[in-house]
Amino acid sequence: MNKLLLSLLVLLLAAGCTERININLDNSYIRLVVDGGITTDSLQRSVTLSKSASYFYNQPPPMVSQAMVILTDGSFLDTLKEELPASPGKYTLDSNFRGVIGKTYNLIVKLPEAIGDFTEYASSCKIMKVPRLDSIHAEFNPNMGKNGFWLVKIYAMEPGDEMNFYMLKYYRNSVLISDSIQKWTTSDDKYFNGSYINGLTAFYINNNHPWETLHPGDTLMVQMSGITNEYYNFIQQVQQAGYQIPFFSGPPANVEGNISNRGVGFFTAYSNSFAKLVIPKHNP
Amino acid sequence: MKLLSVFPLVFFLLMAFTGSALPENLKKYTISGKVTDNNDGESLVGATVFIKELKTGTTTDQYGRFSLTLPEGRYTIGFTFIGYTPVNMEIVLDKDISLKMELATQEKELQEVEVKSEKSDQNVVKPEMSVFKMDIRTIQKIPALMGEVDVIKAIQMLPGVQSVSEGSTGYSVRGGAPDQNLILLDDATVYNASHLMGFFSVFNNDAVKDVKLYKGDIPANYGGRLASVLDVRMDEGDSKGFQVNGGIGIIASRLTVEGPIKKERCSFIVSGRRTYADLFLPLSSNKALQNNRLYFYDINAKINYVINDNNQIFLSGYFGRDVFSNQFAKMSWGNGTGTFRWNHVFSKKLFFNFTTLYSDYRYLLGTPEGASNSFEWNANLRDIAIKGDLSWYLNTNNTLRFGGAATYHMIDPGTANGIGSETVFTSIQVPKNYSLESGIYITNEQKIGPHFVAKYGLRLSLFQSIGPGTVYHYTPTYVVIDSSVYKSGIIYNTYGGIEPRIGLLYDFNQKSSVKASYARTYQYLQLAQNSSAGTPLDIWFPASPNIKPQINDQLAVGYFRNFRHNTIETSVEVYYKWMQNVIDFKNFAQLLLNDTLEGQVRTGRGYSYGIEFLVRLNEKIVSGWVSYTYSRSFRLIPDIQLNPYPAPYDKPNNISIVLNFQVAKRWNISANWVYATGAPVTFPTGRATIAGKVIPIYSQRNEYRYQDYNRLDLAVTFSSKQKPHRRFSWDLNFSVYNAYDRHNTWSVNFVQDNVDPNVTYAEKVYLFGIIPSVTFNFHFNHE
Repeated sequence: MNKLLLSLLVLLLAAGCTERININLDNSYIRLVVDGGITTDSLQRSVTLSKSASYFYNQPPPMVSQAMVILTDGSFLDTLKEELPASPGKYTLDSNFRGVIGKTYNLIVKLPEAIGDFTEYASSCKIMKVPRLDSIHAEFNPNMGKNGFWLVKIYAMEPGDEMNFYMLKYYRNSVLISDSIQKWTTSDDKYFNGSYINGLTAFYINNNHPWETLHPGDTLMVQMSGITNEYYNFIQQVQQAGYQIPFFSGPPANVEGNISNRGVGFFTAYSNSFAKLVIPKHNP
Repeated sequence: MKLLSVFPLVFFLLMAFTGSALPENLKKYTISGKVTDNNDGESLVGATVFIKELKTGTTTDQYGRFSLTLPEGRYTIGFTFIGYTPVNMEIVLDKDISLKMELATQEKELQEVEVKSEKSDQNVVKPEMSVFKMDIRTIQKIPALMGEVDVIKAIQMLPGVQSVSEGSTGYSVRGGAPDQNLILLDDATVYNASHLMGFFSVFNNDAVKDVKLYKGDIPANYGGRLASVLDVRMDEGDSKGFQVNGGIGIIASRLTVEGPIKKERCSFIVSGRRTYADLFLPLSSNKALQNNRLYFYDINAKINYVINDNNQIFLSGYFGRDVFSNQFAKMSWGNGTGTFRWNHVFSKKLFFNFTTLYSDYRYLLGTPEGASNSFEWNANLRDIAIKGDLSWYLNTNNTLRFGGAATYHMIDPGTANGIGSETVFTSIQVPKNYSLESGIYITNEQKIGPHFVAKYGLRLSLFQSIGPGTVYHYTPTYVVIDSSVYKSGIIYNTYGGIEPRIGLLYDFNQKSSVKASYARTYQYLQLAQNSSAGTPLDIWFPASPNIKPQINDQLAVGYFRNFRHNTIETSVEVYYKWMQNVIDFKNFAQLLLNDTLEGQVRTGRGYSYGIEFLVRLNEKIVSGWVSYTYSRSFRLIPDIQLNPYPAPYDKPNNISIVLNFQVAKRWNISANWVYATGAPVTFPTGRATIAGKVIPIYSQRNEYRYQDYNRLDLAVTFSSKQKPHRRFSWDLNFSVYNAYDRHNTWSVNFVQDNVDPNVTYAEKVYLFGIIPSVTFNFHFNHE
């Protein structure tokens, strides 16, 4: 919650000037990059494998093909198949697969040739539970920003049993608007553990941005996901990566994922719940 | 604690052993007293009292007092202080003499001498090194950001001192962290010396008399921080006539009133300032900006009362707040300090100071009531302290100082509450922390023969954690296992430290000298600050069963030489520092509202070394200093990185030039230029793409550097005509910060292009281009 305040302060006090600069950077060794995961529904069931590159590489990441990618929950074993020739490096599960809450899934990657001295990488992630989203509400605030903001609020009962972590995304007319990691909202339950989440603002949508704003008649859908503490930290670290604000930022550090053998990235597994709303006509 | 009783004994033995060079059979008497300014009655600190016949003397202490014990006889005693007419008087010393010496300012010289040193050869003959003292007149001439003259910005121009980030009040002394500096305002600790996110400091120069920075060789009466002590003294107020001083600048205005309450006995000073940038916001056409608030103010006040020749008391205080608010958020923070001091003269040779201190730092952060996200978050740190210090002028060759202090710390690291009926937030409270920090010390300054002075002392410090308290227990990988809860009043953890402080001086006929010093310092309180510039939200946390006290050993050697009748002072100092239990934080540390903050801390060793060259000019036309420093600073914290890494303040080459030219009677020009190697930084050496975002893969900690830093500031001051007994005077100051528009790096961001997400580039953020400003200062006095 303090992130919003701090960013406001920064805007006000340190609206510094920027200019592009040239820096000579050394090249580190190449690492395997794993990105993807599974859910309790059919929303996500693929993993992409790529290689790290020099920082100013400026091309699409080099994909890793012909790997063997295996998913197991201890007993059940499944193979993710590479989508060739459409998407090299993207490995997808059978469409019938559904993750189960409470289970821990392991991902094993076997490469045809070594990257960063290793040919085999492993990762695991547990599927956490998620509360049922009772409802959502969209409220237009004309006083924020130049042309106003949409505030999307969520309502749900937070279980008080343990520390929970959530990820939120939204869809406009069935199209995912939170389509990159920068646009995901994350929250822990530190400030409302065990109480009813009675209209927590999950998204601030700038009405000036046509690609994300809402209109009367639009169907808004919010996806709430129960994620692990590690994945929550990972998302936050990725969102901040590359930016340094001397007031707040600690020393830059590598994003902490869950891939073995110094691999980069995250194999995630999570549960989802959804709520829908049609934006009423009387709203602007 | 056996050491406690043994130590004074050792002192006396030592003194008896070296004894006095004078014949035993001559009777001795003491001449003591006080040196003051005859114009406003303020005490003169560091004035020289010299006995011509014996070629010996002393300097006045920080309250203008002195004491000399001499054999019976007839002497010529001289009182000198730069900018004042010297006084010589004949005395017949056949009994103890107490006198009050008033020195008159030299009207003409006052205008021309800008840097007022203590006694002019103090640089060479005083057994202290790694010290820099400036009076406020020197600081006022230094060109300043937006014309706001600033004590801390002046400190940052000294050799061995580095600014931690452009425009920041934070500074690193000899490779230490910014929280390793003890900042005192009339002896009360100032926990956050910054206003407006650090662009200005809390010290209002109209209320400050002088500042002294100890970079090493820290006297035994100071304790609690590793790297340095910044001792800021508030003005005492004019005890003879009323004065009004003020200034109007582009972002702030100041007003100071001082005068006698009872002539020559009791004086007061009240000083205030406020920024007013936000007063113009309602005129803005931008609706959102109109309701913004962004300002700071502060008030300094002091009352000084000379009860009689043997007793003097003063009461001083500071209160300041920064306020920021807009329609979404509000924030305020600030310090309050209070000092009560009683100076008592027990005898001609024994002076006593009793001080009680109060210091409070707090902040509030919140959003307006009535929304689901409404909350308020408070944090607070409070000190209450008592202190007793004695100076015993035992004989001509020995001056003994001893005393003790105890400080009770209360830290409330943060309480966040949802506010209003709509809020979804519950309450979070990080438990409060209570501790007692105490110290006793004894030190002797001893002249051994005509050329050698030894200063040796010891400080014993103690830090006790007091219940109620909760201590978490961690695994070696910093996972919480369980916790211990302690009841109110129980002392559940104690640390102690033995801190020797030694200084040696050998002078070659008062023209040049060699000095050496060793000091060990302990630090029991530290700042949870993981960023380079820091924010007002950073909290202090104490030593505990999990956090050991930080320890620093510093060894320094220097050569000091004065030229041209002491108007040019030069010095070279070499130092080496070893630090134990220095702190850093784990990657992506969570330091706020975290009751397991200690699990985020990583500790290890540190070391730094350097050589500092300084030329200080006190000439009539040119004054100021030129310095060059070569220094390195490293940390070795295995849980961060297995090999040593440069500390964030490791900037090997540093040049500071601060010069002031009195070009004509009414025209004064000043300039400063600073150059420093770019700060160490961690840059990417690779990249990976995750969910559409390119993330950097980083080098080792601080393997790269920003571009070198350099900046020129200029100021011109035009003053009204100087006439004796003129009631009103003024000056107009034009200044330019960053005169050649250097875009010094504040940070570097690695940005993913909006159009082509495969393209990444580096973007430098800089804060200041050329910033011109104008300030009008006025002075009015009423006899």
